[in-house]
Amino acid sequence: MDDKAFEPKILGFLCNWCSYAGADLAGVSRLQYPANIRIIRVMCSGGISPHHLLHAFQKGADGVLIGGCHIGDCHYLKGNYMTMKRVKFLEGLLQFAGYDPRRLRLEWISAAEGLRFAEVVREFTDQIRSLGPAPTFEAVPGMDAHPSEAFSGRGEFMA
Amino acid sequence: MDTKIKSLLLEGRVDGFWGYRTMNGFPFPRLFTKENANELEPWRPTVARYPVLKLLLREMRMHSDRTYGVLVRGCEERGLRELFKWKQLEPDKVVVVGQACSRELADCCECRQPFPDLLDYGEPAAPVTQSRKVDALQAMAMSERRAWWLTHMNRCIHCHGCRDVCPVCFCTECSLEHRELVSGAKLPPDSSFHLVRAVHMGGRCIDCGLCEEICPARIPLRSLYKEVNRLVEEIFDYRPGVDEGMSPFTFPGDELLLPTG
Ligand code: SF4
Ligand code: SF4
Ligand code: SF4
Repeated sequence: MDDKAFEPKILGFLCNWCSYAGADLAGVSRLQYPANIRIIRVMCSGGISPHHLLHAFQKGADGVLIGGCHIGDCHYLKGNYMTMKRVKFLEGLLQFAGYDPRRLRLEWISAAEGLRFAEVVREFTDQIRSLGPAPTFEAVPGMDAHPSEAFSGRGEFMA
Repeated sequence: MDTKIKSLLLEGRVDGFWGYRTMNGFPFPRLFTKENANELEPWRPTVARYPVLKLLLREMRMHSDRTYGVLVRGCEERGLRELFKWKQLEPDKVVVVGQACSRELADCCECRQPFPDLLDYGEPAAPVTQSRKVDALQAMAMSERRAWWLTHMNRCIHCHGCRDVCPVCFCTECSLEHRELVSGAKLPPDSSFHLVRAVHMGGRCIDCGLCEEICPARIPLRSLYKEVNRLVEEIFDYRPGVDEGMSPFTFPGDELLLPTG
């Protein structure tokens, strides 16, 4: 697929108190940013389960942006600490399963940072554009040959 | 195993004991009571592994007033600790007798603690701290690794065996059966089935490897969960079944617990 034909689909999970307000500010300030992002407003970035993030990829997102309040500014005191660790965990898991963790991005964006929001969306869209469409979670035909069981480690005791 | 366990039973310290009895040359899990205590055999090392914690859990849910004993390996002791933390079992209702795993089993499991802290039988084998299988996977290029996993996961028959055998899978509702998360209609399920479960095992998996051992499709699940555990340790500084305290994934901390049952 050539770069021009590919328009990344990006899903944004933005926390109600900071990042969503930041996006709102970008809107009312008439700041330009790519229209590739669809936004879901959540009460706290800490409420985003890794399941939601996986599901976004499962449903065809090419990139997922998570926006939360800056550390120390969480309305629920420590929600964003949780977000930070969970995202790191999921990045590691995706990497190990062979999916590029750069498709997941966590940013702290405050209600006053409309400019920053527009910038992040622009940057992230460019990055996903250069990464190309996300691979699916499904095996493609030809991938179903039985691989070597060298790592399986079983069988040693199963005569 | 005969004398120690027999005295537990005859002295009435436990109402039942989950041990093993040889059948057709193989050890099988068996519930011993006062009545069949004479069938207990001397302890001997074995590489046979069973989901004894599942058997124990089931038995204790049926008879919550009784006290049970169980012969545990290192991973089973870790599993018990998690079940206590998650209030699935009561510590004062479980009496533990520990057995060490052989050198060859520890190597096969790449086990970091192939013996329980409370050791009654066997010689403790040296821990295996590095996973050759995980290292080999990490050494691959990302796309190669994806192809490798997909080739394996593509054989999944969606039988839920990996979940059903897992000693620390005890939820009454399972996200793997949630239609919005995992499509039940697709065979094989896409790899999100395995990733959803891997996410759910974060902070809980005690690295027993039963999921891999039971999988009829021979999917090398243990390597996936070994990496999950490595990440949890690196990011949350927590080792399930070894460290004190609840899973770091519980939020807000230990106020949040799953319902029992
Ligand atoms: S993981 Fe394997 S070696 Fe480790 S305690 Fe369990 S059975 Fe033994
Ligand atoms: S190794 Fe598999 S069966 Fe054992 S605790 Fe982890 S996920 Fe469950
Ligand atoms: S046990 Fe194996 S085949 Fe069955 S659901 Fe789990 S991974 Fe798939």
